[in-house]
Amino acid sequence: MTALTDAPPLPMVAHRRHFPTQKVVGYAVAITAALCVLYPIYYLIQASLDVGDPNVRPPTAYGLDNYALLPNYWEVMLNTLVVAFAATAMAMVFGFLFAWILTRTNVPFRGTLEQLMAVPYYVTPLLGALAWNFLGAPESGFINQIWRALGGGGAIVDITGPVGIAWVMALFEGSVAFVMISAVMKSMDPSLEEASQILGGSRLRTMLKVTLPLVAPGVLGAALFVFAEMLGSFAAALVLGTPNRFYVITTAIYQLVSQYPPKLPLAAAMGVSLFVVMFAMLYAYRRVTRGRSYVTVTGKAFRPRPMDVGGLRWALFALCIAYVVLSVVLPIATLGYASVQRLAVALPSADNFTLEHYRTALSLNAVRQAIWNSLFLGVLTATIGVVVTGLLAWLIQRSRLAGRGMLEYIVMFPQAVPRLVFAFGMMWAWLVFPIPVYGTIWILLIAYLTVFLPLGVRAISGVLVQLDKSLEECGEVCGASWGQRLRTITMPLLKPGLFAAWLLIFVASVRELGASILLMGPDSKVLTPAIVEAFFSSSSELTAAMALIQTAFVGVAMLVFLAITRRYGRIGA
Amino acid sequence: MSPGQHIEVEDLVIRYGAVAAVGPVSFTVAAGQQLTLLGPSGCGKTTTLRAVAGLEKPSAGAIRIGGRTVYDGARGIDVPAEARGLSMVFQSYAIWPHMTVFENVAYGLRVRQKGAAEIRERVGAALDLVQMGPYADRHASQLSGGQQQRVALARACAFSPSVLLFDEPLSNLDAKLRGDMRIELRELQHRLGVTSLYVTHDLEEALAMSDKIVVMRAGQIEQSGPPSEIYNYPRTEFVADFVGSANLIQGRIRPDLTRGDAIALETPGGHLIHGSAHGRAVGDRPSFSVRTVHLKLTPQAPAHETNVWPVTVKRAIFLGDLTQVHVEWGGRELVVRQTGMQPWSEGQAASLSADPDHCILLEH
Repeated sequence: MTALTDAPPLPMVAHRRHFPTQKVVGYAVAITAALCVLYPIYYLIQASLDVGDPNVRPPTAYGLDNYALLPNYWEVMLNTLVVAFAATAMAMVFGFLFAWILTRTNVPFRGTLEQLMAVPYYVTPLLGALAWNFLGAPESGFINQIWRALGGGGAIVDITGPVGIAWVMALFEGSVAFVMISAVMKSMDPSLEEASQILGGSRLRTMLKVTLPLVAPGVLGAALFVFAEMLGSFAAALVLGTPNRFYVITTAIYQLVSQYPPKLPLAAAMGVSLFVVMFAMLYAYRRVTRGRSYVTVTGKAFRPRPMDVGGLRWALFALCIAYVVLSVVLPIATLGYASVQRLAVALPSADNFTLEHYRTALSLNAVRQAIWNSLFLGVLTATIGVVVTGLLAWLIQRSRLAGRGMLEYIVMFPQAVPRLVFAFGMMWAWLVFPIPVYGTIWILLIAYLTVFLPLGVRAISGVLVQLDKSLEECGEVCGASWGQRLRTITMPLLKPGLFAAWLLIFVASVRELGASILLMGPDSKVLTPAIVEAFFSSSSELTAAMALIQTAFVGVAMLVFLAITRRYGRIGA
Repeated sequence: MSPGQHIEVEDLVIRYGAVAAVGPVSFTVAAGQQLTLLGPSGCGKTTTLRAVAGLEKPSAGAIRIGGRTVYDGARGIDVPAEARGLSMVFQSYAIWPHMTVFENVAYGLRVRQKGAAEIRERVGAALDLVQMGPYADRHASQLSGGQQQRVALARACAFSPSVLLFDEPLSNLDAKLRGDMRIELRELQHRLGVTSLYVTHDLEEALAMSDKIVVMRAGQIEQSGPPSEIYNYPRTEFVADFVGSANLIQGRIRPDLTRGDAIALETPGGHLIHGSAHGRAVGDRPSFSVRTVHLKLTPQAPAHETNVWPVTVKRAIFLGDLTQVHVEWGGRELVVRQTGMQPWSEGQAASLSADPDHCILLEH
């Protein structure tokens, strides 16, 4: 007390006054991010309107002719819609069913199942497509081989058609639908249902009049989101459809760009159309999930009283396990099985087994270079990405800068653009850029940083909004400058979230396909497109080995991620 | 602790878009005094406090602390919060969970680049002040709500700010602890002589702790003055109602029945009530405010005859310290709260009386 009262008044903190660090850094990051997002989109639209000499840039004439040509590709559009609808329907069935089982019934091992359900998302559609190609190709597929060995004729499954492609896509997107729908089901206050029962409503009436209307917007939102993702998906259709000339819009764009001579303006017009549709879907998604905020506003996770389903619980358990087997265990096992055979067959003889594909994969210079590049880019993208998206998330959530609402829209924009289409815009944009980055790994770095903006910002924002705002404000009132506050308060409190975001971005970069396949040069190969190239130009057994090597990297990163999130599960709450 | 500095808030306006959240409001806090902004949630009191802190950007007006202008809309001055040299206790305490109690309290000193010895001494003194000395090495997660509250207070005082801001600091504590902390905070404020601006929606807290209270409603100042004045002489129906429970009695003034200082009001029900104008002019809808505890209910009529009425008890509610009795009075109901063991039953006849000094004419 005496020390406190007798102490001389402290002078005000010496301030480098009137140098608004926050404003300068904030606007610099915001403008850079906005440029990275909007500059390629501008060139994409410009290219789609180019009706002049295809070899001259900037375009000599503008018009809508490229769009007028689109109806010629009605078959591609139809394929896209069929695949997207079928895949969305299947993914929603998976998602709704498992969300209901895991939030509403007394299925055994619920906690473990819930974690397992998220795993398919981290097994890429590419890996799934490669594996299911081994399993379900009409001639060489293991399932069909066994079918014929058992005396059947022809093929009982064909994974290379629209339904097959949709199946592979749905297996992986199903876990996204699950996460979204179960979030809605969990956040519903069970007392809303209980109130109906207390007032005499039957189980069915409660379900129809209370549960469904409350859950419906969330489910519809999930369906729109999944459908938009399906429209823009690329890997499964590329691996399964392209060999037998079954094209969806993304693979058609890729074909138009990579064929000789390329039809770039037409591809651009297709890309713009696709992105307009996806944008509309995602806008609708936001409207649906925002307008009906009464569903989930409390932000508290409820655990509704589970329904006792009796002996059926083991059947439901088996159903959940079956999904994980089909989407994770079976694909990885299949690739493992195929990668150690000289020529992959369902029932091989003993001398067919070999490790030569792994030897080849790890000794080929091109592959080694691709692995090295992917890891290098992954580390670099994640490191820079965390800094940039962390700043952006802070600016959007916490700053009082003008225009931060707009910033959120711009940063989330890449979400609405398929990465392939975005990369196409980038390719076009950076070709004319005075600094020669095109064809180097630096353009890949820029592309990754841009397309993963939404991923990083969303991950970090999610943690940031849980931090009580007054923790930072208190530092402000105590006299700490913006930089000091970020360093001593915000960053230490966000550490687990920042680390999780780092790993998410790392994993996403290492498995990136759509943007990389267009932007990598001969000296800047990266792993995922190299796997696709191997699939089309060398043996599928080697491809399997490469895909498994990649999965190992991602798997290790994921295990670290899980360990960290579990350890720091609830800090700073 | 440095001697307190006075705070002047002048015509402060805070707008969100087109909506005026606060203002214009003006008030001053004298050096070393405590002023409380009191009002229901959403009345703009916290927004006003945050504007003084520099956490909220006002739209117009001026704020001066110790004569130094920290905000002036017209002159374009807006000193950032970190350079205003004041301190604040947050509603959520905002104790940093990644630091120890010691580091939390030392923060303001570290920011000011004090030497290790001085930091140790001052943090020790601040923790002793709130009796948290033994907890210096604990983490925030190991503290109870009351302990966090004390640490937040120590942290706010440690770097000897001349002004302390409090944003509903006691609202997250349970009732018993709140009562104790109220007294401790008041004592501390007196001992340190620091100027404080305090925000609360709790009437008792405001009455117990303040030198001056500003009652706010919908972004405007409804009444300001010392606690006793606010309580005894509410200016408007809102203040009478919000600051403790009161009966509001409308009627028309009967100048012919004035007795000495007491003016007379005739109610629509035909009752006459004498009260104090408290120097206020009679408006066109005159009404008296009578606190529920200032009405007396007795089985027999008292000896004097001013403001005595026979009434019927409608119901009595036992509240513990008090009993709340609703009585039928000239076609309406009045609420009486009183101590005592006297049991009241429905339909019982009784006598109601009120001292004319406690029947206060409201302004309109």
